[in-house]
Amino acid sequence: MEVGPLIEFRRVNKFFGSNHVLRDIDLTIPTNQKLVIIGPSGSGKSTLIRCINQLERVSSGQVLVDGVDVTAPGARLAEVRQDIGMVFQLFNLYPHKTVLENVTLAPEKVRGVPPEQAAETARYYLKRVGMLHKVNAYPAQLSGGQQQRVAIARALAMKPRFMLFDEPTSALDPEMIGEVLDVMTGLAHEGMTMVVVTHEIGFARQVADRILFLDNGEIAEDGPPAQVLDSPTNERTKSFLSKVLH
Amino acid sequence: MFGLESWQTLLVDWRIFAQGLAQTVLASVLGLALALALGVVMGVLGVVPVRPLRWLNRFYVEFFQNTPLLTQVFFYYYGLPRLGLRLPVLAVGVMGLGIYTGAYIAEIIRAGILSVHRGQLEAAFSQGFRYEEAMRYIILPQAFRVIMPPLTNQFVNLIKNSSILSFIAGYDLMYHADVWSSYNLLYGVAYVTIAALYLCLTLPTATLARRLERRMQATWGGSVS
Repeated sequence: MEVGPLIEFRRVNKFFGSNHVLRDIDLTIPTNQKLVIIGPSGSGKSTLIRCINQLERVSSGQVLVDGVDVTAPGARLAEVRQDIGMVFQLFNLYPHKTVLENVTLAPEKVRGVPPEQAAETARYYLKRVGMLHKVNAYPAQLSGGQQQRVAIARALAMKPRFMLFDEPTSALDPEMIGEVLDVMTGLAHEGMTMVVVTHEIGFARQVADRILFLDNGEIAEDGPPAQVLDSPTNERTKSFLSKVLH
Repeated sequence: MFGLESWQTLLVDWRIFAQGLAQTVLASVLGLALALALGVVMGVLGVVPVRPLRWLNRFYVEFFQNTPLLTQVFFYYYGLPRLGLRLPVLAVGVMGLGIYTGAYIAEIIRAGILSVHRGQLEAAFSQGFRYEEAMRYIILPQAFRVIMPPLTNQFVNLIKNSSILSFIAGYDLMYHADVWSSYNLLYGVAYVTIAALYLCLTLPTATLARRLERRMQATWGGSVS
């Protein structure tokens, strides 16, 4: 059976005022792909990933998720977003809710899952990210790495079709980066479709089956890790990699 | 003026003051309920991404904050009957207090919502919450934490402002003190007494709110990112 692309960008442009952040982006992401987006800051990586679930509206062009044009006026964004998990740079856990409540809130209120069942699912995912011992803690009582792992469990508890990671380790102390990347690697091995914006080149090499190098709002490089990381054709890619790889 | 006899005269008529107290409490509680309802709705309208609704918020806040409460109440009392709407005195008082205080609460709520980190709304949206659900479950509960102290001030103000009912024969504390003291020609004891009674209402309100606030701080732990 022919499976269509899961995520598709068609000539997407994005302006912030006069700043041209995304330039004619064409991109097709199939199911099961682990796509890592790298690039210098200000290159449009976060804007691109945020266009997928329309936290950022496009200025022109189309974004299709599972064949649904999410950029169309009147698109049912709330429904589309239920199936897209997202993890943020600053975690964005709900500070007035416990760890368990953070994970059960959306399944209960958005999906209408009964509380006991939502709690059971929440415990399952909290165990997977190694945070089951903190179910009754509040986010402010957790380290950054712990908060981010809870945030991943929160996203997974909605049983999303795919996951978006927007610089998930950029706000973490170095010693906590590993614990979050481990969880993400495990998720990748289980076949989750993932789009990851990151500066962790090691993670990209290990987990990605495709890497995009974004530069000045354009896709400057697109290919498997070995190609993009080891033999880039684009000058900007080379200079960027020489800086991050030392 | 503050002689023993004056206090005795007042004590004999304690029922009058008790009635006034009851009426003041009733008007304050109902006024508070109306003010809170109006304040939350109007405050939220101040941040929604729909421009005409934000205009409505601005009009409400600016108009009712910047005209005297007494003028507003006199309009409801003398003006509305001319337009065919004759309301009981208590209703006029509640309406006056509720609408006026609601304008202040709306502004407090709006500022409280704007103080919640933008990432919270994005996290909620990313999980499929609709705007109103995100407000209800995620933004407003957090806003209330910031809102509590100024909100308490408004509660206290409303209780004190309920004394304007006396201008429209509202049978509240102030009204009974006015009538009783001018009949008995004993002004000092009457106003000292009702001042004490107002304090009995306002001080516990402020204390209760402060305690509630401390408890919220304690459960959520320290900083909110």
